[in-house]
Amino acid sequence: MLRCEQHDMSDIRHTKIKGQWLTMRTMLLVLCGAMMIGNMYLIFMWVPTAGLSSGFHAQRIFYIHVPLAWVGFLAFLFVLAGSIGYLWKKDYRWDALGHSAAEIGVLFTTLVLISGVIWMKPVWGRWWLWEPRLTTTLILWLIYVAYLMIRAYSSNPLQAARYSAILGIVGFVDVPIVYFAVQMWRGIHPGPVIGPNAAPSSLEESMSTTLLFSVVTFTVLFAFLMRERWSLIWREYVVKNSVRNTAFSKHRLDENFSLGDS
Amino acid sequence: MSQYFRELTNAVRGLVIPAVLIAWKDILLELRTKDIIGSVIIFAIMVTVVFNFALNVTPQLVNVMAPGILWVSFTFAGIIALNRTFTVERDHGSLEGVILCPISRDSIYFGKMISALIFLLIMEAVLLIIFAGLFNVQVISLSLIATMVLASIGFATVGTLFAAMSVNTRSREIMLPILFLPVVAPVIIGGVEASIHAVSGNAFSEVLVWIRFLVIFDIVYLVICPWAFHFVLEE
Amino acid sequence: MPSDNLPFMFAAYAIVWIAFCIYAFFISRRQQELEQEIMLLQRRLDDANTDASSKSA
Repeated sequence: MLRCEQHDMSDIRHTKIKGQWLTMRTMLLVLCGAMMIGNMYLIFMWVPTAGLSSGFHAQRIFYIHVPLAWVGFLAFLFVLAGSIGYLWKKDYRWDALGHSAAEIGVLFTTLVLISGVIWMKPVWGRWWLWEPRLTTTLILWLIYVAYLMIRAYSSNPLQAARYSAILGIVGFVDVPIVYFAVQMWRGIHPGPVIGPNAAPSSLEESMSTTLLFSVVTFTVLFAFLMRERWSLIWREYVVKNSVRNTAFSKHRLDENFSLGDS
Repeated sequence: MSQYFRELTNAVRGLVIPAVLIAWKDILLELRTKDIIGSVIIFAIMVTVVFNFALNVTPQLVNVMAPGILWVSFTFAGIIALNRTFTVERDHGSLEGVILCPISRDSIYFGKMISALIFLLIMEAVLLIIFAGLFNVQVISLSLIATMVLASIGFATVGTLFAAMSVNTRSREIMLPILFLPVVAPVIIGGVEASIHAVSGNAFSEVLVWIRFLVIFDIVYLVICPWAFHFVLEE
Repeated sequence: MPSDNLPFMFAAYAIVWIAFCIYAFFISRRQQELEQEIMLLQRRLDDANTDASSKSA
């Protein structure tokens, strides 16, 4: 078996994507699917319709808008962890963690902005407003889009990993700002309705139950997507590295060197 | 006690003097070539003029719109100035030379940051005077000057870090605004809000809220960015 | 009327679902490409191995 500098090609074969991880992966997928079905039932068939001030049926957007936001923050927390981990351990697995989490975080935050905008139109009559929560969320989105861009525009993988790790750490400063923006400044975005800072009895019990279930559902979805994306990024990196090393090894083959022992 | 004093002087010698030297080198270079200051100031004035046409500023709206225009001009010109502080190093290959010197990374960072800050402050001073003339607003007030100094510190802190990163990437100068603007946005927001209150002559307590906001961000970024700079220079 | 806001609700949920489906599809496709590349590389390695061993034999 040809040995590459860091990664043995047999490494890849034994941990094939459709091989050993099938059980855990299938379990997560089934759980995610089941919870999503249950979530949709709760949102559309069980929870009562909201009143005029919340936008009647449009208010149901709330049950995905809030979980998407929270899980988005969670994703950026993972980016922070991956960034610190990479800068500390210099292991690309941490970098892969940061990268996958940033991608998923940008996806979730994009959907937060879109769902928020769509909910806003019937309730407030306009698509956008430069108020604190919306503005800071948009800034947050821009920061992590910049994370993905600097990876794309870096000259080499080492630079990509290092620079994006720096941005992953510095950019996380904005996350608490987004969360507390609603409490610090007066704007039109609703204040917290759940958790330690919530106004008392701001949410009916069935609504908060549905919301919590939705949060758990989206967290499971996040776990599933993270596993898939993280492992994919890491494997692609290993294969690319192994290809580079294999190309050199093949050159040595052509010159009748003995292989496999060195 | 004397040992403590000795350690302090060693720290000063190790960190402050090299930083001051690097900043002084940049300033000397600038005095000779007049590279950054001249073009950046002219650019800032042009942006201001363009905004005047674009926004159709009437005398009634001046107090509300002038701070915004001031800050946009300052932001754009500031980005150019920050870019230049590192492109000049890259073009002459002098950054590797500086790294080889037996000085700490922090000195390099603070040296570049101080020179960037000085350039920004000079540009702002000229810009404020132009503003006073063009828009007939009360700009020579303590709160406004304090705001601009604090915001410039935030700009220079974050900008030095990201300018060092962006000159090494493939799209060079465009990478800096993309990286830098979202992160420094709170500083700009704080600056604009404080300026609006300062220019309108509102109570100082209103300005103080936003000045406190700026100070918090300056402190946070002054802690994070020098530490992050270590990783930018690693080879 | 309450039902007037249904289009907004539908639009938001549709976009969210479609976005996730596209993303899942994108991941799945890259995984398949990776599998194919691994198989290709393995085949090339095996060929190289057999060539080398037949040469040295």
